[in-house]
Amino acid sequence: MGSRFIVWLVCMAVLNLGSPMVAQAGIVGTLQAVQASTRAADLATVDAALARDEVRAQFVALGVAPEQVEARVAALTDAELRTLAGQMAELPAGGDALAVIGIVFLVLLILEAVGVIDIFKKFP
Amino acid sequence: MMVVARARAAALAVIGCALAGCAASPPVLPALVPQGLPPQVELDGTPFFAQQRYQCGPAALATVLAASGVEITADELVSEVYLPGRRGSLQPELVAATRSRGRVPYVLPPETGALLAAVAGGEPVLVLQQLGAGPWPGWHYAVLVGYDAARDRVVLRSGLEPRKETTAADFLASWDRGGRWALVALQPGTIPPQADLERYLEAAAGLEAAGRPQDAAPAYAAAARHWPDAALPRLALANLAYASGDLVTAERGYRDAIRLDPGSVAARNNRAEALNRMGCPAAARREIEAARDLAVGGPLAREVEATAREIPPAPVADRDGCPAH
Repeated sequence: MGSRFIVWLVCMAVLNLGSPMVAQAGIVGTLQAVQASTRAADLATVDAALARDEVRAQFVALGVAPEQVEARVAALTDAELRTLAGQMAELPAGGDALAVIGIVFLVLLILEAVGVIDIFKKFP
Repeated sequence: MMVVARARAAALAVIGCALAGCAASPPVLPALVPQGLPPQVELDGTPFFAQQRYQCGPAALATVLAASGVEITADELVSEVYLPGRRGSLQPELVAATRSRGRVPYVLPPETGALLAAVAGGEPVLVLQQLGAGPWPGWHYAVLVGYDAARDRVVLRSGLEPRKETTAADFLASWDRGGRWALVALQPGTIPPQADLERYLEAAAGLEAAGRPQDAAPAYAAAARHWPDAALPRLALANLAYASGDLVTAERGYRDAIRLDPGSVAARNNRAEALNRMGCPAAARREIEAARDLAVGGPLAREVEATAREIPPAPVADRDGCPAH
């Protein structure tokens, strides 16, 4: 009897390990319904809580002021958190066109210095 | 001497092309402007926020938000969307900040026609451009405010330039390299021209998920009017009713959604949940069985099973006034 109970316990534990995310009973939210109709099922297997922790850590590492981190994490949907998690160093970060212009200027300056071009007016 | 001169000419040609775009290429815009749109549009009234160093994200976002009637400056957005470690802003955060200001962050389909149609419809468009290459990608946000098919040019609010004109070919190439990403900030209730139902509802549902159901509601209602045969807007409105505790309205909305799309697992699951809470377990069981058959192997299978577990088993009967099917 005792061993049977232990087998049952182990079985339940194993089953529970296999499905770490037990869905909450209730309605399917609109965002989830739209995404279910447009995306593959695998999205649901990525744990949103893990993604949230990862994004929070990345915000801190990338210099977001500590008092702003929580508000910025809270503003993101689960799908956005999954997009950001682990990718915040690679995703395009729109920043500055001026940097590019600076590089072009630098190239021109070098070409000028080595005498390939002559477009900058010489001082008298 | 000849070699140096030739090298000089070649270098000048390359630099000239890179800086100005090759002017000799044929016009691209006339063929790209969709039927029925005016050949020339410029949204003169769009405000301009000059960007601080690396902060084109806050500046461009402030531009589209202010154009949609939000009182805002670029500085206010820095703490919400600027990422110091990347010297820039990431797209999901621009979307999130748009929601935080009560606007629907609609990401356009990645087509030139959609871009031009939005501008012609009066919405300035926030775009991601890639202006550099290789180790200097030069990611940049700007706002498209106009186009002129005859002159083959577009007009942007960009960086420090309140009115930057560039050739359509150059702009479209930089937008293409940037992944064809474009965002408009819509007042809830405005449906953009040529809107895509799923894209629009996903943007609106983000407002609800971010705790702004009062902003999501007019967007859902507008979607239900714009796409009267679509089930998703009905489901969305019913979900709002459910969340506010109005089970009768919710159940009716789910029934509408199921009538429009009998294959909607979400609508059937949610109707079963509403029926169960209304004291109609038998009707709920019938609905959840239908949902179960449709959900097998799909993304909502787990949710359906969770709902099914909540419904009392067969001997428990419906109270009076429950729907017969």
